[in-house]
Amino acid sequence: MAVLDRTRPPDSGVVVRDLTLAYGSTVVQHELSFHVRPASIFVIMGVSGCGKSTLLRHMIDLEQAAQGDITFDGQRLWTENVAERRALQRRIGVLFQSTALWSSMTVGENVGLPLQLHTRLSAAEIRDQVAFKLALVGLAGQESRMPSELSGGMQKRAGLARAIALDPDYLFLDEPSAGLDPITSQRLDSLIMNLRDALQLSVIAVTHELPSIFTIADDSIYLDNESRRAIAHGDPRALADNAEHARVRAFLNRQSLDASTRAEGDGPEFPARSEVL
Amino acid sequence: MPQSASHSRLYRIESRNGAAALVLGGDWGGASRLPTSQRLVAELVAARGDSEAPITIEGHDLESAHPRVAALVYAVSQGLHSREIAVAFTGLPASVSSLVALARPPAADAASGRRAHWLTRLGVAGRNRMEAFARAAEMVGNAFVATPRLSVGKAQARWVDFMALLRETGASSLPVVTIVNLLIGAVLGFVGAVQLAAFGAGLYLADLVGIAVAREMAAIMTAFIMAGRIGATFAAHLATMEANEEIDALRMIGVSPFEFLVLPRLTALTLMMPLLFLYAAALGIGGGMIVADLVLDTSPASFLGRLQDAVAARHFVIGFVKAVCFGILIALASCYLGMRAGRNAAEVGRAATRTVVVSIIGIIVIDAIFALCTNALGV
Repeated sequence: MAVLDRTRPPDSGVVVRDLTLAYGSTVVQHELSFHVRPASIFVIMGVSGCGKSTLLRHMIDLEQAAQGDITFDGQRLWTENVAERRALQRRIGVLFQSTALWSSMTVGENVGLPLQLHTRLSAAEIRDQVAFKLALVGLAGQESRMPSELSGGMQKRAGLARAIALDPDYLFLDEPSAGLDPITSQRLDSLIMNLRDALQLSVIAVTHELPSIFTIADDSIYLDNESRRAIAHGDPRALADNAEHARVRAFLNRQSLDASTRAEGDGPEFPARSEVL
Repeated sequence: MPQSASHSRLYRIESRNGAAALVLGGDWGGASRLPTSQRLVAELVAARGDSEAPITIEGHDLESAHPRVAALVYAVSQGLHSREIAVAFTGLPASVSSLVALARPPAADAASGRRAHWLTRLGVAGRNRMEAFARAAEMVGNAFVATPRLSVGKAQARWVDFMALLRETGASSLPVVTIVNLLIGAVLGFVGAVQLAAFGAGLYLADLVGIAVAREMAAIMTAFIMAGRIGATFAAHLATMEANEEIDALRMIGVSPFEFLVLPRLTALTLMMPLLFLYAAALGIGGGMIVADLVLDTSPASFLGRLQDAVAARHFVIGFVKAVCFGILIALASCYLGMRAGRNAAEVGRAATRTVVVSIIGIIVIDAIFALCTNALGV
């Protein structure tokens, strides 16, 4: 697939270093470190309550971490320079779990609002951009419909169109397939991969949907909710067979862990959950 | 020989032996204003003339493959397709081609943006009004049927919710009811004192304040407060429940949303409004009495003595009955509008606003009807 000619610095992609997530004194995840390569799809996986969405909220600057750092193409996310921070935020697109489409606006207005606020494009060009972004996600001609008139899958795609409205370099997806039927979910997965290829996006997806994980992930990290650490990192297809920790293998093979399996190969011991900083 | 129709670094339109071409060039990322797709389509159609040949979009001269190029190429090709003109691409950067290929044109039956005929819209609006009226009538009917069930403890409602609603509508409203009615009584007293003193009739201030407060002001001002404070809260709460499908969940476990949600609110407000009215009337008269003492040197004892002679019980009864009616109106309006709100965040705010507006108009209308009736009856 062809590549848009965007210049990227040598330390391109998203780099997370020693990130510790905490709410008050309760630690959600300890010392996370990973690298999201440019134009790849990176999946953050784990069971419910392990801190996947919390990590995503930190990566898109909705929360600030207790410790650690995140850089986008070498630029620090939590810089003191407000202008730099705003500029970086513009390079990030987000599809929220609930889609978070503004219910009082039409689909076209939802996609067009970021362009109105952040660009100096003429109204006619914004109209063209909106039509194009909606066509990219398969919603051509749906500009005048209200979000409440769309099905769940269409709302997800409308949210995706809004997320790519500003031609971001990084696309964050929070549970993109949640609540969708398998066919719609599969189409959404194809769309995400097509957008990655066509727009050369670095996609960071939070999900625990196994079919999606195996379909879209180039790389992944598994957040463990018992040790509160990332206990696996790599291609999920390989991790399903070769992961060091039984919990990761069980998750990726959709098996329940009984006591014997745990004793057999649960990997190194980690501190108990909810450790206090 | 190519014929240049437009001179621009970013694009030019050429006509080659009757076949039009849009030649894109330069750096589109840096351009502040790009040509609109409608303009380009119009220029291309004009350059094409009567030719049947497809229009070509060329990108050999592009210095960057900015995503804006893809959006414009897509818009132009869609504009030409809508005029049944074939389009061919040549020399476009591969990334632009792949993006344009990924964009799927609207389905042939996508007519979502088209407005219906005005007669159709009128008919639909009329039918919606009739349905809304029928649903409102149904809610009033339900109130008559279900209230006796609540009084004998057979309604599907929780006492803990009812007690919380009594506290919310009653005790929690006291501070604002106190401030507003005390000041209204004082203002009424001050205006009356100045005018009556001019005629040496300052003693009759008790008549003015007493009758105005007992018959009109206490009930109306308290109702306005409750419409804004309680009506809006009820509507927003029920609209949020509707948006979250909580009301559907009640129906699915066999619970009547009317009995579980509306009836406790209706009963709580209907019980509390007359009590608040009595409290408000006492405060309003107290405000007038303070002003009489300060401005006219009328002692509280003289004021209260005159009040006993001037204000008959019927004035309080009229205000009391009005307060009950206002309570029923606010409760039914807020519950109706809350439960009929759409399933999105904007509708929650809209339901609250509509409740306040409908309640205030309803209060004024009911008050006018009372004025006409009491006048006709000579009460």
